Amino acid sequence: MSAVAMVQANSVTKQVNTQEGTLTILHPISMRVMAGESLAITGASGSGKSTLLGILAGLDVPSTGEVILNGNNLSQLDEEGRAKVRAGNVGFIFQSFQLLPGLSAHENVMLPLELRGDKAASNKAREFLERVGLAQRLHHYPQQLSGGEQQRVAIARAFASEPKVLFADEPTGNLDSTTGARIIELLFELNRAQGTTLILITHEERLSQLCQHRMELAAGAIVSGRE
Amino acid sequence: MMLAINLLRRNWRSGELKLLGFSLLLAVAVLSGISIFTDRLEATLISESNSVLGADYIVRGSQPHNSDWPSAAEKDNIQQTQAALFASMVFAGDEMHLASVKAVDAGYPLRGQFEISRVPFAMDLADIEIAKTIPAPGEAWVDSRLLPLLKIQLGDKVAVGEYELTVTHVLIREPDSANPFSMTGARLIMNIADLVKTQVVQPGSRVDYQWLIASDNNSQLKRFVEQLKPQLSKHQRLIDIESAQERVGRTLKTSRQFLLLSAVIAVLLAGVAIAITARQFSARHTDQVALMKSLGAGAVQIRTLYFAQLIFLGVIASLIGLGFGELLQRTVATSLQQVYQIRLGTASFYPYGLSFFSGLMCLVFFALPALWHLPTVPPLKILRRELAVNMPQVWQQAALALFAVLTLVILFSRDLELALSISGALLAVIFVTIIAAYGLLSLSKKMVLRLGGFWRLAFANLQRQRGQSLIQILVFSIAIMLLFTLTIVRTSLIEEWRVQVPDDAPNHFLVNIPPAELPQVQQLLEQAKVRPEPLYPMMRARLTHINDVETTEEQRSLSNALRRELNVTWADTLAADNKILEGLWWDKWQRSAANLPGVSVEVNTATEIGLKLGDKLQFSFGGLLLEAEVASFRSLDWRSMRPNFFFIFEPGSLDAYSPTFITSIYLPAQQKSFINELLLDHPTILVMELDRIIEQIRSIVNQVSDGVLLVLWLTLIGGCLVLLAAVMGSIAARKQQAGLLRALGSPRRLIVGSICAEFAILGFLAGLIAIIGTEILLISLQKFVLQTPIQPHYIYWLLSPLSGAVFVSALGYICCRHTVTTPPAVVLREAA
Repeated sequence: MSAVAMVQANSVTKQVNTQEGTLTILHPISMRVMAGESLAITGASGSGKSTLLGILAGLDVPSTGEVILNGNNLSQLDEEGRAKVRAGNVGFIFQSFQLLPGLSAHENVMLPLELRGDKAASNKAREFLERVGLAQRLHHYPQQLSGGEQQRVAIARAFASEPKVLFADEPTGNLDSTTGARIIELLFELNRAQGTTLILITHEERLSQLCQHRMELAAGAIVSGRE
Repeated sequence: MMLAINLLRRNWRSGELKLLGFSLLLAVAVLSGISIFTDRLEATLISESNSVLGADYIVRGSQPHNSDWPSAAEKDNIQQTQAALFASMVFAGDEMHLASVKAVDAGYPLRGQFEISRVPFAMDLADIEIAKTIPAPGEAWVDSRLLPLLKIQLGDKVAVGEYELTVTHVLIREPDSANPFSMTGARLIMNIADLVKTQVVQPGSRVDYQWLIASDNNSQLKRFVEQLKPQLSKHQRLIDIESAQERVGRTLKTSRQFLLLSAVIAVLLAGVAIAITARQFSARHTDQVALMKSLGAGAVQIRTLYFAQLIFLGVIASLIGLGFGELLQRTVATSLQQVYQIRLGTASFYPYGLSFFSGLMCLVFFALPALWHLPTVPPLKILRRELAVNMPQVWQQAALALFAVLTLVILFSRDLELALSISGALLAVIFVTIIAAYGLLSLSKKMVLRLGGFWRLAFANLQRQRGQSLIQILVFSIAIMLLFTLTIVRTSLIEEWRVQVPDDAPNHFLVNIPPAELPQVQQLLEQAKVRPEPLYPMMRARLTHINDVETTEEQRSLSNALRRELNVTWADTLAADNKILEGLWWDKWQRSAANLPGVSVEVNTATEIGLKLGDKLQFSFGGLLLEAEVASFRSLDWRSMRPNFFFIFEPGSLDAYSPTFITSIYLPAQQKSFINELLLDHPTILVMELDRIIEQIRSIVNQVSDGVLLVLWLTLIGGCLVLLAAVMGSIAARKQQAGLLRALGSPRRLIVGSICAEFAILGFLAGLIAIIGTEILLISLQKFVLQTPIQPHYIYWLLSPLSGAVFVSALGYICCRHTVTTPPAVVLREAA
């Protein structure tokens, strides 16, 4: 285990204004994930898991506190700055796959590489699709692929840009248990091979057990696990 | 930049941008087609008007120029020449044609030149030569179309009156050509030295004498002209380039107004399609932007990517649109060139550049507002789909679109007043149509709900998207209205006019009958058993003073009767189709104390000039003055095919002036040869064959409206694009609804029926509004322009809503058929 903290949250809170007044979604949370580690965040619906993930990944800003991602203090950056940090460091896997329907599997995987101006985007995308076992499906569109295949494309897209941290939001939530198991296997295999730091949200006990660390949230506060 | 191109390519392939591209292409095609065409027309007319006079100034009149002017001009070193223009029957064997003859003197034209050819209808520059002189005595140059009309070839002879001329060349272009859009006969150019030999010009004949002057010394010329002005008689006018151009300008403005209005409507429809498609594109791309931002794309990068895609799309679609526009204008120009035998000039760069720019402008004002918020989509939306995104309001988009249309109209018309009036008219039409559509939609809801079944479902869909339903009804009703108006105008109005004329109504006018030949002509008519209408003496006079006050420029601008010389007559009996509305006819009328002869005035002319009974009018008959008192106001029926006059004098009052006579006759087709007989003996008579003129009008109306119809069909395509755009946006919801209904066991019939019913209601209402609008337009046309009795077009009241319902429901079904054929399981899985 490396001694460098890849993701660090210091007293992060999140409040939103509603018609009924201010609603606290996250109570002060502090945590650290070292480079190459894996962390599962669990909790019931509405416990604040997705909000925390969004803040840790720099998609959202905390109301108070700070997040440091690979040495970059996200709280001191504007949206353009956070986008730059995400471009160089972060990958995502979503529950609903989030593939662009108009693009083929190959083009979907190429997209983040193209956004970074990677000249070898096409070759890298092909290589990662081969690694997730979709060499024969390069030119298929999302609607022509099964749920499991779509998630494999999403995994290929996430790893192709060789991120330092991979955030996964319920990666098996939309899949049956057999397919889900295969996807988990693939996810951890690639994670091991690339030494990526992995932060995932899951309901699945089996999936959380595979992570080195676990953290359970309830009503916006950590009730067990790593702090 | 490469990424923008790649994304554009992928978005195009996925179909999201196709509609946007096609709409843009259509807008640019219509705008460029019309603007390039009108630019060519303008260039042609203006270049013609520059050499139109064939001189710097022309003195025109019904009398030859003063005999002492040429020597005065010579003294001032001013070039001069003369010409005489008149209509005359020309013959070759059994064929004849009422030609527009121009007899010219040496040196004609002083400005510009004759272009002649030995190849009839020559368009190729290699076949065309510049004439260095005028036709030699005994020779004639003629319009190409005279050759087939008279069935002759170059080298053959044609008779003008009593004299035969050899046709040596065809005339391609001439200075002072007749207005290319008037209905005059084919041109024949001859040497003025031969004029006397033809014997067609007799006292009282209608001849336009021209004295042309020009000089390179502008100040000297102006001085000479100033000295000349007071010497002009009331029957002579001085014409310069500006007044010639002004005339051209008026014709051009009217035609440009109509074409521009059609173009604006087509562009507006395309614009609506662009705006709807852009909104849908934007809604679908919200998630894509959130994803790209989560992958590290910044707002600046997103803005650049989308803006670049839009610009690339705009440039490509505009370029292709320009290509189609070029094709469109060529089609219209070719048909026009064939009809009028004119060669259109080349267009300037302006309409090409402007149309290309307009394409980009359409995108910026119709599409960009819908995409403007995309860079601000928060990346967090990728995790929390419920996050709201601030799409621009529809009214904001509409205001920008209106601004764009107004700017385009100003740029294309280069006339603020015209632009504002067109935009105002358009807004009024839109406003009234939307209110009508809203009312009809609400009304039909009550009726349709009683039917139940798929009608109920269809109406639920219409109500759910009420705004879009209104837009679709608006769009289709305007497109159908324009199409029907033009179709009805081009066919039925001419037919209606023809029907109103009885079968045995006179179909030939005999004009310019010299008094000395009157007994022989009457005898010939009797021998041939042709019953003429009464013979009227006819003289040309100009109304110069009203109650001793000279007519003003303002009065002249209000009434044709004051602007030009009129044909006047005297008569003792009132023609059957004339009716006295005020005052008395000669049998009861008494001269006043002033003892002036009486004159009966046509009622509309009297109103235009503002005459009262008892007013004193002064007329000039070729310089001889006559005063008369207004005795009555008459109505008359121009469609009676009988000679009719604005001013009829009391019998005996015009005895001092030399008249020619006019009458009309009915000749059955098998007796047409009688005209040849008549004209051989009396060559000065002009015969106007009304049946041929009607045929000619019909062919011109058909040819010209073909071109305009092409533009209107494009307008309808614009309407289809709007429907397509609106339907595309609702496809997902429709699929889901169809899937659910089928999963619940609804028969396919119900779903197909509801789709067809929904679009049939839209089409029916659009057709209904369209025919109401069409009828209002036609009634205004019939009442104010054509002055024919108002006739409803019953068949179109049935045809318009029905064809609207069938057409739009077919179109709607084609767009939505996938929603029915997709298996419900697939639909429900996709929805999930």
